[in-house]
Amino acid sequence: MIQAVFIPREPRVLIVEDEILIAEELRERLARLGYSVIAAVDSADEGIGIATREVPDLVLMDIRLRGKKDGVEAAVEIRRQVDIPIVYLTAHSDNLTVERAKKTDHDGFLLKPFHRRELQSTIEVAMKRYALRKGKTRPM
Amino acid sequence: MSSAGTGSDFFALQGLLKRQLQLLLAAILLVAAVFVVRPSVGAALFSTRFLPHAFCYLQRPALVWTHVTADGLIAVSYLAISVTLAYLVSRARRDIPFPWMFLAFGLFIIACGGTHLVEVLTIWIPVYVLSAAIKLFTAAASITTAIILPFTVPRILELVQQAKVSEQITAQLRASEERKEALLREVHHRVKNNLAVICSLLHLQSIHTRDEKTVDTFCDMETRIHSMALVHESLYSAENLARVDFAEYAKSLAEDVVASYEKPTTPVRLQTDLEPVNINADLALPCGLILNELISNACKHGFPEGVAGEIKVSVRSTSEPGRYTLSVHDDGIGINPEIDVNTSKSLGLRLVRLLTQQIHGSFELVRSEQGTSARLDFRVDQ
Repeated sequence: MIQAVFIPREPRVLIVEDEILIAEELRERLARLGYSVIAAVDSADEGIGIATREVPDLVLMDIRLRGKKDGVEAAVEIRRQVDIPIVYLTAHSDNLTVERAKKTDHDGFLLKPFHRRELQSTIEVAMKRYALRKGKTRPM
Repeated sequence: MSSAGTGSDFFALQGLLKRQLQLLLAAILLVAAVFVVRPSVGAALFSTRFLPHAFCYLQRPALVWTHVTADGLIAVSYLAISVTLAYLVSRARRDIPFPWMFLAFGLFIIACGGTHLVEVLTIWIPVYVLSAAIKLFTAAASITTAIILPFTVPRILELVQQAKVSEQITAQLRASEERKEALLREVHHRVKNNLAVICSLLHLQSIHTRDEKTVDTFCDMETRIHSMALVHESLYSAENLARVDFAEYAKSLAEDVVASYEKPTTPVRLQTDLEPVNINADLALPCGLILNELISNACKHGFPEGVAGEIKVSVRSTSEPGRYTLSVHDDGIGINPEIDVNTSKSLGLRLVRLLTQQIHGSFELVRSEQGTSARLDFRVDQ
């Protein structure tokens, strides 16, 4: 009897975060949870470039970034070009920016500091939501 | 406007009227004295040995009444205008520039009104001498006003210029205030960010050690530093850049601490009952560190692996105004009864002891069958 063997590849994640050490912590935490981080960049433009070129399975997007564009603008631009799940990284009290971010297309929010379970569940929910959306919109 | 202000304005108006009435009385007495000493002056002034104006108008009612109506209306309007001016000066005497200028205007207008009133009178009663006397007075008032008005022009222009400059200064001050606020917000944000980076550094370092006790120490340090970072985060997002909304802060902190000690199999629920209170940053920092120790202790010692339960965090005002109680209650297994808060060598309790001393508060640990309660009493300066 021949059985189809599925070896799911590790989900590929792009991190857009302006503090490289915070990004590094996130990379380490994600690796332990079984994700592969394809890159960690600190500007909106680099993030948009890699996201549209490499099309990762998920983008973790900090809202405050280096350079003119912030994370909300970068997310809008990425979503315009490719359909991939985007999760915002924010602090507790960035109320104004969070309100602005909530109005854009996104698949979740992750509060800093990162906690193992929250990180895992937020990413899983984001990817499931995306899969459902994809399934529904796939042409018959 | 307050009723007190209205009251004092009313008395100011009364005072002004009183002075004006005294002047008027003096003038009447002076005129009366002239009439008494020289009766011929009075006789001449009120002499009616002339033809009334009505004869000039050939007694035509249309013409007569048009003159009467027009002159009457002009007289009443002039009187109303001068009353308004007098009221304006009395209400804003201290703030209005050139009050005497307004009074001269008022007098000039009253005199004009008087001439029109006499015009009405002379249609039937030919008091032309009186009319001439009033016109002479009007001429004097008009000339005086006409002469002093040009002299005040440069000062009026200067005042307008000053008003413009003060408006500019106000705008500059506001802009500088806004710049300072933005800068302060940025500083709080950077401090918070740097503390977050320190947390990341500690986490990255902790990966390289296998000793569980050392990993725990790193974890403790991470939550301590995070409790400080949260103060700055609350500050830069707050309306008031010097005070922290402690209820919101305590809620964020409690959620983060409980999440960082999470045990997937036996969850610890968090319940909060927080009264809103704004506190200064230099009080928020020690209070946050104490709260962090208390919740961490409850998580670690109250709920070891395999024990689930609830932690209740509350902030309440006491009967003494400005005094608050922060309490952390857990229904876990309770801490070792041999531990004495005042002598314990554990860093957590030592920090609580020292920081309580720093904020001049009082701390107690109550053990009961329902669990462990830690209570901190502290003063909040308004």
